[in-house]
Amino acid sequence: MAKISFILNGEEVSVEADPLKRLLDVLREDFEALGVKEGCGEGECGACSVILDGKLVNSCMVPLGAAEGADIVTPEGLRETEKGKVIVESFADTGAVQCGFCTPGMMMAAEALLEKNNNPDESEIREALSGNLCRCTGYDLIVKGVKVSAERGKDLW
Amino acid sequence: MVNSYRPTTLPEALKLMETRDMIPFAGGTDLMVKYQSWKGTLPRFPKDVLFLNHIPSLKKIEVNGETLAIGAGATLSDVIDYPRTPDILREAVLSIAAPGIRNIATLAGNICNASPAGDSICALYALDASVILSKSGGERELPLPEFITGPGKTSLGRGELLTEVRIPLKEANLQVFRKVGTRKANALSKLSFSAVAEIKGGTIDGIALAFGAVGPTVVRSKELEKKLTGKTLEEIKVLYKDIIDDYSAMIVPIDDQRSTAVYRKQVALNLLKNFLESGLLKEMQ
Amino acid sequence: MNDEIRKSVRRVDAVAKASGLAKYISDYNFGDILYARLVRSTRPRAKIISITVPELPDGYYYVDHRDIPEKGKNRIQMIKDDWKVFAEDEVRYVGETIALLIGPDREKLLSLLSEIKISYEDQEPAYTIEEGLACKGGAIVGDDNIYGEYNLVKGDPDTAFNNAARVIEGTYRTGFQEHLYMEPQGMVGTWEGGRVNIYASAQCPYYIQKSVSGALGVEGKEVRIKQVTTGGAFGGKEHFPDVIAVPLAVAVNKIKKPVELIFDRIEDISYTCKRHPSRITIKTALDKENNITGMTIDTVINGGGYESSTLIVLQRALLHGIGVYNIPNAHVRGRAVATNTFPSDAYRGFGAPQGLYAIEMHMSQVAKELGMFPADFKRKYFIKNGDMTITNATMKDTVKLEEMFAAADEMSGYSKKIREYKDDPYKGIGISFVNHGGGFTGNGEQEIIKGVVKMKRTGENSAALYVSNVEMGQGLQTVLRKIAAKELGLNYTDIEYDNPDTDIVPDSGPTVASRSTMVVGYLIQECAKKLKTKWDEGVGAEAEHHYKHPSEFKWDQDTLQGDAYPTYGWGINVVEVEMDKDTYEVKTTGIWTVFDVGIPMDDTIMYGQVSGGVVQGLGYASIEKCEVLDGKFRQHTMADYVIPTSVDFPQIKNRFIDNPYKYGPSGAKGAGELVFDAAAPAYADAVQQLAGKNIYDIPVTPEMIMGLEE
Ligand SMILES: Cc1cc2nc3c(=O)[nH]c(=O)nc-3n(C[C@@H](O)[C@@H](O)[C@H](O)COP(=O)(O)OP(=O)(O)OC[C@H]3O[C@@H](n4cnc5c(N)ncnc54)[C@H](O)[C@@H]3O)c2cc1C
Ligand code: FES
Ligand code: FES
Repeated sequence: MAKISFILNGEEVSVEADPLKRLLDVLREDFEALGVKEGCGEGECGACSVILDGKLVNSCMVPLGAAEGADIVTPEGLRETEKGKVIVESFADTGAVQCGFCTPGMMMAAEALLEKNNNPDESEIREALSGNLCRCTGYDLIVKGVKVSAERGKDLW
Repeated sequence: MVNSYRPTTLPEALKLMETRDMIPFAGGTDLMVKYQSWKGTLPRFPKDVLFLNHIPSLKKIEVNGETLAIGAGATLSDVIDYPRTPDILREAVLSIAAPGIRNIATLAGNICNASPAGDSICALYALDASVILSKSGGERELPLPEFITGPGKTSLGRGELLTEVRIPLKEANLQVFRKVGTRKANALSKLSFSAVAEIKGGTIDGIALAFGAVGPTVVRSKELEKKLTGKTLEEIKVLYKDIIDDYSAMIVPIDDQRSTAVYRKQVALNLLKNFLESGLLKEMQ
Repeated sequence: MNDEIRKSVRRVDAVAKASGLAKYISDYNFGDILYARLVRSTRPRAKIISITVPELPDGYYYVDHRDIPEKGKNRIQMIKDDWKVFAEDEVRYVGETIALLIGPDREKLLSLLSEIKISYEDQEPAYTIEEGLACKGGAIVGDDNIYGEYNLVKGDPDTAFNNAARVIEGTYRTGFQEHLYMEPQGMVGTWEGGRVNIYASAQCPYYIQKSVSGALGVEGKEVRIKQVTTGGAFGGKEHFPDVIAVPLAVAVNKIKKPVELIFDRIEDISYTCKRHPSRITIKTALDKENNITGMTIDTVINGGGYESSTLIVLQRALLHGIGVYNIPNAHVRGRAVATNTFPSDAYRGFGAPQGLYAIEMHMSQVAKELGMFPADFKRKYFIKNGDMTITNATMKDTVKLEEMFAAADEMSGYSKKIREYKDDPYKGIGISFVNHGGGFTGNGEQEIIKGVVKMKRTGENSAALYVSNVEMGQGLQTVLRKIAAKELGLNYTDIEYDNPDTDIVPDSGPTVASRSTMVVGYLIQECAKKLKTKWDEGVGAEAEHHYKHPSEFKWDQDTLQGDAYPTYGWGINVVEVEMDKDTYEVKTTGIWTVFDVGIPMDDTIMYGQVSGGVVQGLGYASIEKCEVLDGKFRQHTMADYVIPTSVDFPQIKNRFIDNPYKYGPSGAKGAGELVFDAAAPAYADAVQQLAGKNIYDIPVTPEMIMGLEE
């Protein structure tokens, strides 16, 4: 056990836990960040996506010890920001959400993409989402959701 | 009880490696899968774990003279973004997983994992890469083929860490990387192919050909490459069938859950032929 | 009128889900929870000789068949109740439930689990359809391993074959397919109000209630099932949840504490039902003028270790076996065989995709034999209103396939491209035509389901609807609200519709068979009309509506004769591909779809169904390989069982052709499965067009394409 601190959605937090505990479990169990989903636990699906030090990562692949001192944003944090609101609203308006299990992760991937490229074309969007699997939508409307986010959030990113 | 350590300097890390048998942990994208357990329980690490990602000096990527040096802490994304990364290495690394994984996975980890399906390894063979292995009180440099000894096996010694990957930046006007995966992205390799060649005045000045996931380790033959070096277009045409036959004899893949031996072999040879026919010969004309 | 209902609205669940606020089963906090792990068979076929369980610390429980109450039964009550809750003395497949191990600490639980020792006496297993038919290792079921056989005959196929100028034959195979809903199977059982409660990610709360109460030996109402937001299902949460809910309920009944049973992904792929593999042989008799005079179809599907709903799946495969064609003389035979693989069960399409794949590939191959292009040939045989179906009833639908083909052709340029690519070994374009019967087969809605819905006025301008059908991603919570709101003249957001709870909602039937919009939606529409007449009674006014089978549709379940379905959805897919000459990898360069779903209840939601269904079907056709090795699924991680990513397929261009159905709400028909059916044959046809060689099996992998060349 160790006390490990990091920044979670803009707030400094710390937790007493085994540094090998998965960040995914820490976020869900110790911080009730339930928007972070477990779809596979093997890095394949992206449902557990968070943004760590500005980068999209799969939180099931990250033990707490590796995240010490990191700046972590989860869907709980993103949805409170202007950018997050634009993405949520755009996804809702374009029909990008079906069962919704992949959606918070998709939002994180969309945010990570738009931070780097605020006017992505379709193939750039598809590439950026390629680690986030969705079984319901066939992706078309998610791609549209990201496009609309970029248009609506022109001045944000 | 498994312990874990989070050193912030390399000497500290090497010191720890000297004192106990530990698992170096870079991005963890192989380790966390390998030791995955039930959600809410700890990954099943059999030994103590040494986190490497808090050591800033390992994250460096730089060019020293004619050598590109990639620190063991550099992620695949870092390698992609670095402007002087050789094209085929960038392509190979871009073909690995998806952005979220590439943001934490390291190049060094891909090498140390020594998977026959490790995509960067195939390109690194063709680029004549070597690795620096450090331990308290010393380091050694090994050519990659000497470092990787079998599937999941390396010649990493007790107390050693891989600290740097070195790639000689040679002229090469022809660079090809092809990966055949189980789907179009975020896919593991069925096989991969890397080719690097420098054509000067209509002859082959240097050439390297490597095949991934078609054997226990990457297939590359300096002998066969030597046969090709210095040859002209006409001479290659004469040698063509021999070359294919020679490679065919070396490529002995297996069947597994991702593909078949027959397919792997045939496609590896097709890619070679395509490289010789449309890549190389075109460049030489 | 119809234009209004189809106008896209924002889904009621979209914002909560996108922002991560929606709660799935693993997001609930039930307080002091116990965790459960299944103790599973590691053998495909064996007698259990002994089981040694380590001494359990306080608070840990081992639950097995001995814990089934005396008045209960160690059986899961699915369509057939042959599947045991817990194995007793024999196991029939790897992963069969033997017991549950339960306790508060997950690390401890894992270590106890590893100490459980089971010794087996192995028997020779059968895995494939052929091995099952041959009764390898002795019959698993009965004396021939056949769960059931059906024969459908129209006209006089024997004479047609006797007089045939030539016969063309092909055998088509499809593999297992994993649902891979993004949220793995999971549920929590609690002891509340002196009875078992199950909170589940599931499609059919009343199915679970039936299975659980049956095993516990209590009345249905003595267990409560509450569906929670479900992260995808596709048929995988139709019957399978019973397989874990019942052992869980037995455990809760014993322990009287909340217990959580949530699968990891690897468990989920390894140990849940898949789509039935099939082997279908089709023979076509042609006369001298090359007209089809007869056809025989011999279908075998692999049911795995227990029957469960296999025969119903088989029926649908047969009823769709002849596709969208009017063949004068035909014999469709079907058998379901027992093997030692994980029992196969419901998956979007429920047998129809296998049947439709085979007939579409076959028709395309017959066309080729005759020197014709597939669409030109197939169109000659399109069934029309009034034609005789394989179950000897008239086709009651107005069939708009010609109009749909014209649209598909115009969008995709199919007719031009198929000629253009004729001799191009690297480019191909494929087409498929399908239909899908909406709702339960025959009179199942009347005889088995007997759906009931309820509505209530809850405020000045609001009402609630009560159904047992669930939202699982398909948009039902929005669509049913729209239907109710339209009748009541309210806004759809003024209608309340919670995730169903068997204590509260009547049994409007399971969320399966593309019935929820068409059948339940219609009940809601009619119920809303009733409520409207009672609106002035004030808040609290209620209305109820029961299913009544339209009298013009007749069916005999014993002989499988009559109107198999009151109506069909219709679909055409066109898929264009390119092949890499070195690697045989296929790249899909265009997808065009045309569907008749009656009237779409919401253009965006329907487009989402199309895009999701088609991509799932394309995965089935191309990359979703799932083999059995030593009784285990060889591709059992997400790294190896691969589904399409965002870059695998291009954007789909879709058009809907309106064709309202009298007994659907505002004319809607079933659509959720239809959108899956056509993709695989269109893809495989595209590849066979470029290869110039017939393709018989899916998935069509590069390995297989390479093999075609030899
Ligand atoms: C979803 C997913 C998809 C993937 N797709 C691909 C793919 O397409 N192609 C591909 O090639 N790979 C793929 N991988 C694997 C790839 O991510 C890894 O091989 C990665 O590059 C390893 O880097 P890491 O930093 O994460 O290594 P880690 O997991 O940290 O370590 C890997 C191994 O190397 C050892 N090690 C790490 N660093 C050092 C060091 N400095 N010195 C000594 N030993 C060390 C570790 O002890 C361990 O044995 C995928 C992984 C996932 C989870
Ligand atoms: S749960 Fe982390 S990638 Fe699937
Ligand atoms: S919406 Fe269901 S997995 Fe994406």
